[in-house]
Amino acid sequence: MSTDTSRAAVPSRTAARRASSLLTSKPWLRLTLLLTAPLTWLVLVYVVALAALLVTALWSVDSFTGEITRSLTFDNIKEIATESLYRTVTLRTIGVAAAVTIIDIAIALPIAFYMAKIASRRMQRVLVIAVLTPLWASYLVKAFAWRSVLSDDGIFEWASSKIGMGTPGYGITAVIITQAYIWLPYVILPIFAGLERVPNSLLDASGDLGASAWQTLRTVVFPLLKPAIIAGSIFSFSLTLGDYITVNIVGGANQMLGNLVYTNVGAANNLPLAAAVALIPIVIMIGYLTAVRRTGALENL
Amino acid sequence: MAVSTTDETSAGLTAPSGTAISLRGLSKHFGEVRAVDDVDLDIADGEFFSMLGPSGSGKTTVLRLVAGFEQATSGTIELAGEDVTSRAPFDRDVNTVFQDYALFPHMSVLDNVAYGLRVRGVKKSVRRRQAEEALGTVQLAHLADRSPGQLSGGQRQRVALARSIVVQPKVLLLDEPLGALDLKLREQMQVELKQLQRNLGITFVFVTHDQEEALTLSDRVAVFSEGKIVQLGTPQEIYETPTSEYVASFVGTSNIFDSATSQRLLGRDGTHALRPEKISISASGTSTRSGGAGVVRAEGVISESIYLGTGHRIHVLLDDGTRLVVLEQSTGAQAQREQRGEKVVASWSLDDLVPLT
Repeated sequence: MSTDTSRAAVPSRTAARRASSLLTSKPWLRLTLLLTAPLTWLVLVYVVALAALLVTALWSVDSFTGEITRSLTFDNIKEIATESLYRTVTLRTIGVAAAVTIIDIAIALPIAFYMAKIASRRMQRVLVIAVLTPLWASYLVKAFAWRSVLSDDGIFEWASSKIGMGTPGYGITAVIITQAYIWLPYVILPIFAGLERVPNSLLDASGDLGASAWQTLRTVVFPLLKPAIIAGSIFSFSLTLGDYITVNIVGGANQMLGNLVYTNVGAANNLPLAAAVALIPIVIMIGYLTAVRRTGALENL
Repeated sequence: MAVSTTDETSAGLTAPSGTAISLRGLSKHFGEVRAVDDVDLDIADGEFFSMLGPSGSGKTTVLRLVAGFEQATSGTIELAGEDVTSRAPFDRDVNTVFQDYALFPHMSVLDNVAYGLRVRGVKKSVRRRQAEEALGTVQLAHLADRSPGQLSGGQRQRVALARSIVVQPKVLLLDEPLGALDLKLREQMQVELKQLQRNLGITFVFVTHDQEEALTLSDRVAVFSEGKIVQLGTPQEIYETPTSEYVASFVGTSNIFDSATSQRLLGRDGTHALRPEKISISASGTSTRSGGAGVVRAEGVISESIYLGTGHRIHVLLDDGTRLVVLEQSTGAQAQREQRGEKVVASWSLDDLVPLT
């Protein structure tokens, strides 16, 4: 090793260095290499799958043989648009999703506020872990846990009977409670992140200028937090919209859109109709996302 | 807004018509740290008062205690004779201009300025007019409809000022308001702040770590160190007669003579401070000043000479090993004279020595 020069020599041009230098000077090559894999994945998994769903919805099933007829017809779409069953279930599903979203936001706001603005650094870390931990448990286990909690001799009955109430039993209320529990972390985290981005000095300034705590919340915190709240609502709303397991476990005899898809694929052996039903939540979500796009919520996801 | 405008021409303390802020035994502890440690302080109505100190000296915490953002560990805070120690910020007749301006990003400039009126339930037309007036005071009336994100740092600073003065507080607290501005803008804002304070006649409490800013703006200055006020006085008092080595070296530059050096050079006991501009130097051998009574002369060598534009900062190593910093104003002719290694005589008057405790 020659060490007689006072200045380190320029490193020798190895193959790796040459490749790296080529990438530096050719932005299009860099872009191609970076984007090929994810774009392939995106096109195959999302675009093709969605297109396949749409096409399947336009097929039909031969009622005699049970074979799929691959000719395009709007019969399935007409059926879900006119049949009252689908309208009822759609409205019920939207109602449940909306209730879950509202409950989750109401619970998430104070928790997130405490985490972001009041708790010490240490406490904050503990709480973030506490919020995330339930996500490690299986969805099924959590739903069954609530089935046990809400049963006639469950802990809910035992606790609420002391104040003269009882378990709501299995039904829509139980579905809402269970779903609100399961999706809560997805609502807390974006609101927490949103609150962390609101400088404390804004809250100080508002109080300093004479605003009460409530006025500060209403005029400063909420407007700044709106995108984060909507971001959280996109999670809870869309995840509830597609659920069919919770409603099977704690929903009693009630059905949601997911159940209709499930029974049509399985028991009824009508894949085209199932695809048509599956389009309903997709259309609802596209409508919802379009409506909130303007608020900047999509940058908060 | 009751303001007694006593026409004071001297740069000294304006005659106080009352006490705006009175702190007694004020302490704030964060765990083991005593951020504010037993502070007693009275600030007069209409005074421009500065709290000066390095970061972590407790000056900002005092401000936050007065504003109500922090609760005191012990002690009392009185505003205009009223005990507000345990009141919420919105119940105190003081307003704060924040270091980061804290403008609401989702509101227009006008809505920001009108915010204090809005939460007080002032009618929309009235608050609009008053907010426009306040914006006019800071020369920003033409930017009322912009959003804060579209403004420059200096403009945001003015909006923050307008937002605070529109609610006519008795006391305005300013937390390093000029810290984020560049030098030119800072000097301009200093002048405007001073004028604004004079025109409004309200008490300004100004927190800064910039000693020059504190000296040029204030009626009185409190120098903070480790949660305590180490010296309180007019800018002249702080600069000309610092009482401690800490103040002597934090406010401006000082030559500090410890007791051994004082004894040797000056024949006096105790530690002394000497401002660099009080020392004059002349080439060794030439006797420009008669060594009369009360003048100390010491020989040495120039170890460094730094050109400052307005003059030179010259480091002199005296023959006994003492290092001196000398500030020499340019008068034209002598500008080229001082060279490194040149033998010189430094001389100063004994009257200019400040004894430190």
